[in-house]
Amino acid sequence: MSGDVLIELENVGVAFNAQRRMSGGHFWALEDVSLQLRRGERLGVIGRNGAGKSTLLRTIAGILAPDRGTIRRAPVSCQLLSLALGFVPHLSGRDNAVLSGLLIGLRRRDIFARLAAIREFSELGDFFEQPIAAYSAGMTMRLAFSVAIQVEPDVLLIDEVLSVGDAEFQHKSGAALRARMGEGHTVVLVSHDESQIASICNRVLWIEHGKSVLEADRDTVFAAYHRDMHPVGSAA
Amino acid sequence: MRQHLIELVLFSTYAELRAEAARSYLGLLWWVLEPALMMGAFYLVFDVILKSGGPDYLPFLLIGLTVWQWMKSCITHGGYAIWTNLAMVRQVSLPPHVFPLIAMLSDTVKFFFILALLLVILWCAGYPPNAAYLALPIVFAVTFLAAAGAGFVVAALVPLVPDMRFVIEQVLTVVMFLSGVVFALDKVPPPLSTIMALNPVAVLMEATRGILMYGRWPNWVGLSKVTAISLIACWLGAMFVSRLAPRYPKLAT
Repeated sequence: MSGDVLIELENVGVAFNAQRRMSGGHFWALEDVSLQLRRGERLGVIGRNGAGKSTLLRTIAGILAPDRGTIRRAPVSCQLLSLALGFVPHLSGRDNAVLSGLLIGLRRRDIFARLAAIREFSELGDFFEQPIAAYSAGMTMRLAFSVAIQVEPDVLLIDEVLSVGDAEFQHKSGAALRARMGEGHTVVLVSHDESQIASICNRVLWIEHGKSVLEADRDTVFAAYHRDMHPVGSAA
Repeated sequence: MRQHLIELVLFSTYAELRAEAARSYLGLLWWVLEPALMMGAFYLVFDVILKSGGPDYLPFLLIGLTVWQWMKSCITHGGYAIWTNLAMVRQVSLPPHVFPLIAMLSDTVKFFFILALLLVILWCAGYPPNAAYLALPIVFAVTFLAAAGAGFVVAALVPLVPDMRFVIEQVLTVVMFLSGVVFALDKVPPPLSTIMALNPVAVLMEATRGILMYGRWPNWVGLSKVTAISLIACWLGAMFVSRLAPRYPKLAT
């Protein structure tokens, strides 16, 4: 693997069983995807619904193992940005923050060091010590985001969770996330929202029906993607 | 990495216990109250009504049920743990072994609460502490290993074949009656009783009762055999989980 390539997928396919039966067939959620992720790169993944974007992300994260093809990775940590991972309703916001933090790969001492910041960012005030069963949906999401944003992997993987909560918090969380992604981190972002990918990513991978169509710089891929979606001559 | 997993397992165990205590009005009290009610029920049926017990039947039954409930909860809770946590398995890359381990550790903490109550009852009933108590930690360690071995094997398979759950409870009930938990195996005729005495659970029951009731040191040879079997089961179960780990994130709950 060449110098700065952190993760490399070569003709990777991932199959799922269609149903839980002795003789169930299987379908390939990913059929043939290749990509190279270099250090510091912000790779966007575009494609229509069901193209296999989320499966791809979970494969890069190491959650799903490829059923064919090869995946090579440098010794780096990859973490999917997960909201409310492992949250337990009867535990306090503080306990849930620690639990969720451990699950997303933080060490205990690091989480304890950031608890004040998490409490501050989530704007929960004294509710931070209350069971989250007593929270409104918005409060739970604020806590979830405040914990999730603490994650510090070498490669950050994001699947469409860019903003949560009310308008004000959406603004704040979106800004925090963009700040994280702008810090020179290596990021893979899956999104339906082209403008989001356009504003964040410098490279783009386009996949369709589980196959990679094109991986190149942002403008090249978007140009080709738009030509495909609105072919010249068809009714606009 | 390894230290991180230890921190995760320990904090999750604490979180599980804490959440469980918070889920009911009486909270922590139920950890002791529930087994106490069950023991009362067995005592009522087998001693008061059926008069099948003899002298020493009360401590015999209480010790048997305390230890058995611990093993059984480790096997079932630990055994279902990967299956119940499949949603998490799909989201985060962790060795799936942590889920059964967390369940078994929290059941073990609860066991120690019940054990404390049991010891108080035994002392009040005329079975005082004795020198053989020194062997208790070893016997309990082997008991945990035995339950963990069975628990890991079950944990590996239940996500693939959730139907197993309907069978496991029944199998465990049979094992309970065949292991001398509720009635002594000496009531079983000879050829059968020798075979039944090979059962690891029976050996563990015998050892724990010997210590707590009669100050008798455990049969070290028997205990070593149980340890060996348990270690093999743990290794097998852990290996199954490792081997099947790539399949879990693709399974539906």
